[in-house]
Amino acid sequence: MIQYLAYLSIMTGIYGILSLSLNLQYGFTGLANFGHVAFFCLGAYTSTILVVLVKGPFILGLLGGMVAAGLFGFLISIPTANLKEDYWAIATLAAAEIVRLFFLNEDWIFGRGPYHGGAFGIGGIPRPLQSWFSATTYPFFYLCIVILCLVLTYFTVRFLTNSPFGRVLKAMREGDDLPLAMGKDVSKFRMKAMAFGGAMGGLAGSLVAHFWSFIDPYQFMPIETFVVWAMVVVGGKGNNIGALVGAVIIQFFYSSTLFLKDFIPIDAQVLASLRMVVIGVLIVLIMLFMKEGLIKEKKRIYQG
Amino acid sequence: MPVFQVIINSIIRASELSLIAIGLTLVYDLLKFANFAHTEYAVVGVYLALVFNVNLGLNIFTSVLLSAIFTGLIALSIDRMVFRRMRDSGRVILMVTSFGLGLAMRNTIRAIWGPTPRSYTIALQKPISFLGIRITPVQIWIIATAVIFMVAFHLLLHKTKLGKAMRASSDNPALAQASGIATEGVILWVWFIATSFAAVGGILIALETYLLPHMGFAIIIPVFCATILGGIGNPYGAMLGALALGFAENFGLYLNFGNIINLGGLFDFVKEMHIPTGYRDAISFGILIAILLTKPSGILGRKS
Amino acid sequence: MLKVIDVHKSFVGIKALDGVSLEVERGSITGLIGPNGSGKTTLFNVISGFLPKEAGEIYLKGERIDELPPNEVAGKGLCRTFQISQAPEKMTVLENMLLAPKDQMGEGLWNAFFRKKRIMHQERHNLEKALYLLSSVELIDLSNEYAGNLSGGQKKLLALGRILMADPEIILLDEPTAGVNPTLNKSLMRLIEDLRKGGKTFFFVEHNMKVISDICDKVYVLDFGRKIAEGTPGEIQQNEEVLEAYLSGSSREWSRKVGIDT
Repeated sequence: MIQYLAYLSIMTGIYGILSLSLNLQYGFTGLANFGHVAFFCLGAYTSTILVVLVKGPFILGLLGGMVAAGLFGFLISIPTANLKEDYWAIATLAAAEIVRLFFLNEDWIFGRGPYHGGAFGIGGIPRPLQSWFSATTYPFFYLCIVILCLVLTYFTVRFLTNSPFGRVLKAMREGDDLPLAMGKDVSKFRMKAMAFGGAMGGLAGSLVAHFWSFIDPYQFMPIETFVVWAMVVVGGKGNNIGALVGAVIIQFFYSSTLFLKDFIPIDAQVLASLRMVVIGVLIVLIMLFMKEGLIKEKKRIYQG
Repeated sequence: MPVFQVIINSIIRASELSLIAIGLTLVYDLLKFANFAHTEYAVVGVYLALVFNVNLGLNIFTSVLLSAIFTGLIALSIDRMVFRRMRDSGRVILMVTSFGLGLAMRNTIRAIWGPTPRSYTIALQKPISFLGIRITPVQIWIIATAVIFMVAFHLLLHKTKLGKAMRASSDNPALAQASGIATEGVILWVWFIATSFAAVGGILIALETYLLPHMGFAIIIPVFCATILGGIGNPYGAMLGALALGFAENFGLYLNFGNIINLGGLFDFVKEMHIPTGYRDAISFGILIAILLTKPSGILGRKS
Repeated sequence: MLKVIDVHKSFVGIKALDGVSLEVERGSITGLIGPNGSGKTTLFNVISGFLPKEAGEIYLKGERIDELPPNEVAGKGLCRTFQISQAPEKMTVLENMLLAPKDQMGEGLWNAFFRKKRIMHQERHNLEKALYLLSSVELIDLSNEYAGNLSGGQKKLLALGRILMADPEIILLDEPTAGVNPTLNKSLMRLIEDLRKGGKTFFFVEHNMKVISDICDKVYVLDFGRKIAEGTPGEIQQNEEVLEAYLSGSSREWSRKVGIDT
């Protein structure tokens, strides 16, 4: 049981990072990023390539994953910087699928040795310092790494959203006209928000790859994006604590229902579907009755 | 594969997509948001037809009509419960809501009918061969049905009072309302028509392949691509967009791009170069992103 | 200061601006009037870079600005307000004010992390300035209120305050007094006069003829996208063509509103 709790906490922490980064993009900047899973995927694959093929250390994988995902965020925001929000959503959704298709089809990257790549996924991704711990204690060590990353991400995002930089992002959330009239180069700010949020998503991807020590393209389906969306809107958009609370609630709901089949006779497939029905309905209900989410955005008070 | 076969395949694909894209463009234009649940209505129609056809033993034609009507009614009740309360909400809120809704719909279907592929009971028919092309009677029916519905739609738009009201409302909702057109009434009709067309389009796909709960999500990008390609709000554009996409998808895989690189045989840089079949979906994603970048108003779009 | 030469702009075949030329002198208060739909706001949008012109040239301090995006026009020292408030509603009045200053170090990602001290200094300075300006537009009591909770008139004041934070050389105001109560209106006008004395240039769209004749040095009149008159407020009120333009058809009501005697 305690093992399972460690597992649950690690996954919550990783999704917490994703939720924080989407919150920066959607909650603070108003960007309807429907392709968030691309960062997660790129982080995981880049880290795996760097550690498994290049034989680099874990930390290189982590940083590489962040750089690759951040770069991707930057790249997709160059051409799309001036699109309306709905086109933006569709373009990011499509871009994320292209990334996934790339890793699904390009199995040559991992074509040698014991690794398969492509649809078969890649196994045997080394876990950092695994030999120092036993199989039972290792998850707790990894949990520490995840918590460290989460805390760092949280404080970085909090600092950033409170800075003058974050102030411009917040202004852009309600339309470009005013920031433009005030001389702010909104497309540059959008690019930065995408690159920065992307890098954080990449971090989450690296963490998940080295924890599972196996990745395949089916772990990065578009549905992951919307699980993260559910976290942000349930917890409270524009509030970093809210994003984390949302991650805890959704992850807990997700995992706890796994046990449901022990108590009520229900097919695992049906249960999995019903779980997604609940998440979908939850998003609709929040949008209908509680647009602010559980934890409202905090008013920024300046002391004169 | 002979080139005529590729053309036929393109037309079949276009027939299926266009009915769904017409509906998307109508709702998009009138209610001003990208309805990410639209293709799920197609799947609702697909499985309702399964009930009428397999469980109730009705013939496929009656099943199609009944399922189109019921899908339309379901859309009306969802509009009443969800979207009607959100007429003044922003685009992003509506988009996220529709996504949550789509998630719930897709997984409800999966919970009821399971993830395994199913098919309708139609008599197996021998393919017809001529000029080296093979085409099944079902495929002929697919094209015929699409044409019938498109003509019916054209007549509806231009020969009926409702069609006039629909055109007026999409051009200028405020003005239409001021001149006594009941905008809410038009909205209901548009929902009904859009989703029942989607249902028929979905059934056409299912007739050619099989029924799957996630078939709606699989076509979301192609349908959006056709819609945007044709210009949002233009149903004829949606038909044309679907046609262009059908050809692009099929010829994209068929053409030997090596010929282009070798400048039609002048050089011999590469032997053969085809887009790998794994990237079939990426073709529509790529076109979508390209059109968003170059001409977001689409080929037949009006200037905004 | 600002020179507009033969600017054209049309929407779906309708000429919104049909060869408009005008000049705003440094340190002046210049008014722009005309019936609804005469092209005033379109002209503002074209000058500030929000709409591309079809033909013509626009110069700011002798420098051509008609090819620049709006943020760069603002960077050159020309700021505008909007007829309908664009204030981010989920930001407080003070946040709105602090958003405005140009060249904020903390807006760069790198600086935000590594130059905290200088940013804090800058923020402190801007905060003081913001509080000072908020008291002059009489919004000081609402400093920490969300901008979305302000009344229409208060939003107009906030827009003016925010522009003053940005400290441009020339300020374009789109109907600054609409919805502002008369007493506040007076202090607003006094504020504009004071700022002009301090060297600022104003160019504004206004419907209230009293305001125009009280503070404007020069007035331009637009009708159907064409400049039909220019001169001092006194001259404009006597101008036959202006009267005729406003008296024709639907403009009758407008002329009553602005107080042109018929």
